[in-house]
Amino acid sequence: MTPAPATASRRREIDAQVGLVIFLGATAMLFAALLLAYAIVRSEAPGWPPAGAPPFPRGAAAANTLALVAASLALRRGWARAAFAFGAAFLAAQALLWRHLVSIHLGPAAGALGEVFFALSALHALHVLGGLFALAPTGSRRLRLLTIYWDFVLVIWVVVYVAVCLL
Amino acid sequence: MTAEVEAADGQADEIPPAPKGFLRRFVFSIDHKVIGRQFLFLGLAFLAIGGVMAMLIRWQLARPGVPVPIVGKLLFGPAGGVISPAAYTALFTMHGTIMIFFAVTPVLIGGFGNFLLPLMIGARDMAFPRLNMASFWTMFAATAVLTASFFVPLGPPEAGWTAYATLSTAIGAPGPGQTLWVVAIYLNGASSVMGAVNYITTVLRLRAPGMTYLRMPLTVWGFFLTSILNALFVPVLAAAMVLLFFDRVLGTQFFIAGTTPGAGGDPILYQHLFWLFGHPEVYILILPAWGIVGDLLAFFARKPVFGYRVTVGALVAVVVLSTVVYGHHMFTTGMSPLLGESFMLLTMIISVPTSLLVLSWLGTLWRGAIRTATPMLFCLGMVFTFGVGGLTGLYLADITADMYLHDTYFVVGHFHLIMASALLMSLFAAVYFWFPKMFGRMMNEGLGKLHFWLTFVPLNLVFMGQLVIGYEGMQRRLYDPSVYDFLKPLLPLNRGISHAAYLLGAAQFIFVLNFFWSLAGGARAEANPWEVGTLEWTVASPPPHHNFERIPVVVRGPHELSHPAARSLGRDWLGQAEVLEESPTPTEPA
Repeated sequence: MTPAPATASRRREIDAQVGLVIFLGATAMLFAALLLAYAIVRSEAPGWPPAGAPPFPRGAAAANTLALVAASLALRRGWARAAFAFGAAFLAAQALLWRHLVSIHLGPAAGALGEVFFALSALHALHVLGGLFALAPTGSRRLRLLTIYWDFVLVIWVVVYVAVCLL
Repeated sequence: MTAEVEAADGQADEIPPAPKGFLRRFVFSIDHKVIGRQFLFLGLAFLAIGGVMAMLIRWQLARPGVPVPIVGKLLFGPAGGVISPAAYTALFTMHGTIMIFFAVTPVLIGGFGNFLLPLMIGARDMAFPRLNMASFWTMFAATAVLTASFFVPLGPPEAGWTAYATLSTAIGAPGPGQTLWVVAIYLNGASSVMGAVNYITTVLRLRAPGMTYLRMPLTVWGFFLTSILNALFVPVLAAAMVLLFFDRVLGTQFFIAGTTPGAGGDPILYQHLFWLFGHPEVYILILPAWGIVGDLLAFFARKPVFGYRVTVGALVAVVVLSTVVYGHHMFTTGMSPLLGESFMLLTMIISVPTSLLVLSWLGTLWRGAIRTATPMLFCLGMVFTFGVGGLTGLYLADITADMYLHDTYFVVGHFHLIMASALLMSLFAAVYFWFPKMFGRMMNEGLGKLHFWLTFVPLNLVFMGQLVIGYEGMQRRLYDPSVYDFLKPLLPLNRGISHAAYLLGAAQFIFVLNFFWSLAGGARAEANPWEVGTLEWTVASPPPHHNFERIPVVVRGPHELSHPAARSLGRDWLGQAEVLEESPTPTEPA
C-alpha cells in the first residue's frame, strides 16, 4: 500500500477504481465461463456452423459495434449525454438484430449457433443496460469510472463478436 | 513513520455523523456492524430451517414410511404425515442449498466478514458502505425467491443442491420451483460478488497505517482470500445459472443432449461449469474458518501462532490449488484417464498445505497455557473433525477408491465432516468469541460448554456413522434404503445415526437459549474480555459508530501473547497498536 499523500476525495476515487477493476475481473470471469461453454458446445458439434443454419448476419452485428465505439469515444471527451444516446442506440440495434435472427431461424431455440449468440449477447446487453443506469445521473466525478466500464463493455462485445460471428 | 501518522490524521476529520431514525439505523443501514448482524441473524434463521430439514431426512432414513411425529400432519398433511419420495427429494435438495448458500455463507462471510474486517484492520467502515447494504438486501431477495419456490405448482426444486442437468432442465423439473431456485442462486451469487468487491478493496486500501499484510490477523487473511475466490468463481456459477435459465425459459439446449440433430447440448457441460465453481466454493467456505481457528487457537493457548508466515503461505497455496482440482468431482463421468490422473495428483497435492495448517495449529497448542473457554473448545473440536474430514478426502481423491465410493454416504460423511462439523464448529467458536464485541454482553460459559459437548459427540457419531454406511455401499439420496436386500442390515445403524442426529438437533436449543438469554441479560462485556491484542478489542463492546476515534497505528503482529515485554505491564499480551514506553519504536519480533 502506498501511503497516498492525496486528499480524502482522491483516496476515495482510487478506492472506487480498485473496486471497479475487481468487479470487472469478476464480470470477465462470467463471460469467460460462457465462452468456455460455447467452446465445448462447438467442439462437440459434428460441424460448425451447424448444418442447416442460415449464414449469420455479420454485417449488421458489426455495425452495432460502431455505436459502442462511439459511446466510448464520447465518454473520453466528457460527453455523458451523447454516450448515453449511443449506448441506448446500441441496445435498440441489438433488439432489432435479435428480432431479425429469430425471423431467419437463428433464434435461441433454433440450434447451437443461435443459442450461443443469444446467451452471450443477452448477458452483454444487460451489462450495457447497467452502464446506462450508471450514466443517467452522472456527475463529472464519476466520468473516469464510467469510461473504464464502457471500454470494458466494448471489449467484451468485440470478443463475443469475433468468437461467435467471425471464427 | 511520520508519514503514516499523518495519513492517520488525514482520516480523522472525515467521520460522518451517526444516522438518525429507525430505518436508517437498523434496516437500511450502511454501517458494516449493523449489516454484519443482519447477515448473522438471516443466516442463523436459515441454519435452523436447514437443520430441521436434516432432522426430517434422518427420520425417513430411520423409519421409512412412518408418519413424522408432531410436525408431520402440518408439513406433509396430504400424505398423512409421511414423507413422500418427492418431498424427501425436495428436502435434501433444499437442505444442501440452504446450508451452503443461505446459512454458512451469510453467517461466516456476510456476518463475521462484515463485522470484523474493518474493525480488525483498523478502518472506520468498508470501502463501499452502500454496496455493502445492497449486498445484504440482494441476499435477502435471494432468500425470498428461494422461499417462494416452496409454494408454487409442482412443488419445490428436487434436483439436488448441485442441480445437475438434466434433472434441473425443463425435462427433469418442469415446474417453476426449479426456475426460482436458479434465480435465487443467481441473486445469492450477486450478493457474494458485491461482498467480494467490497472486502478485497477494503483490505487493499483501508488497512490502518502499519497494518502490513503480514501483520493481519489470520481471520482477515481468511476473508480476504475467500473474497478473491468469490470474485473469480461465483461468476462461473452465475454463467451456469444463466445457461440453465435459458434452457428452462427460452428453449435453448445447452444442457440437453441431442434432441435436435446437430444441435445437441451436453449435460456434462453443466457439471464442468458447476464444479469449476463448486470446488473453490468448498474453500470459499472453509478459508474464513481456518483463519478464525488459527487466530483463536493462539489467543486461547496464550502463544503466538506457530509459523504465521507458513500458515499464510499455506492458505495462499490452497487458494491457488483449489482452482485446478475440480475434476475430482467428475471421475465417474467418463473423463479421459489422463485428465483424471492429473486431477487426482493435483487434489492430493492440496493435502500438503492443509497438513501445514494442521501442523501450525498443533504447534500453536504445544505447551501453551490453554484456557478452555467455550470458543477454544469449539476450535479444538474443529481441529479434530477437520482432521478426520480431510483424511477421508484422500480416499475420494483417489480415482480407484472413488469409483466405488462415489455417490455413497461415504461422500456425504466426508463433506459433512468438513462443512457441517469443522465449519459449524468454527462458526460456533466465532459466535461465542465475538458475541461480546457484537452485542456488548458475554454468553453463558456453562451453557456454552454443555452445548459444545452435546454438539461435538453426536456430530461425530452422525458423520462417522455415515462414513461406515457409505463404505457398506449405501448410496446417497436414497429415499428408502430398506427396499434393497443388501442395505437391510444397515437399518439399525441408520437408526443409531438418526438418534445421534436428533440429539445433535436438540442440543442446538441450548445455543438458541444461550444466545437470546445472553442478548437480553448476559453479563456486560468489557472492551477486551479475552485479553488479546487485535484491534477490534481496543474499542468498546459494542464498538461505537465508525469504530475508531483515531485510526490506530499498528506496530506489531496480531498474536503477541506471552510476550516478555508485557510482563512489566502485569499481563501476557500486547496490543497491535500499543506503543511501549520503554521502546518507542519497537522492532518486529523474530
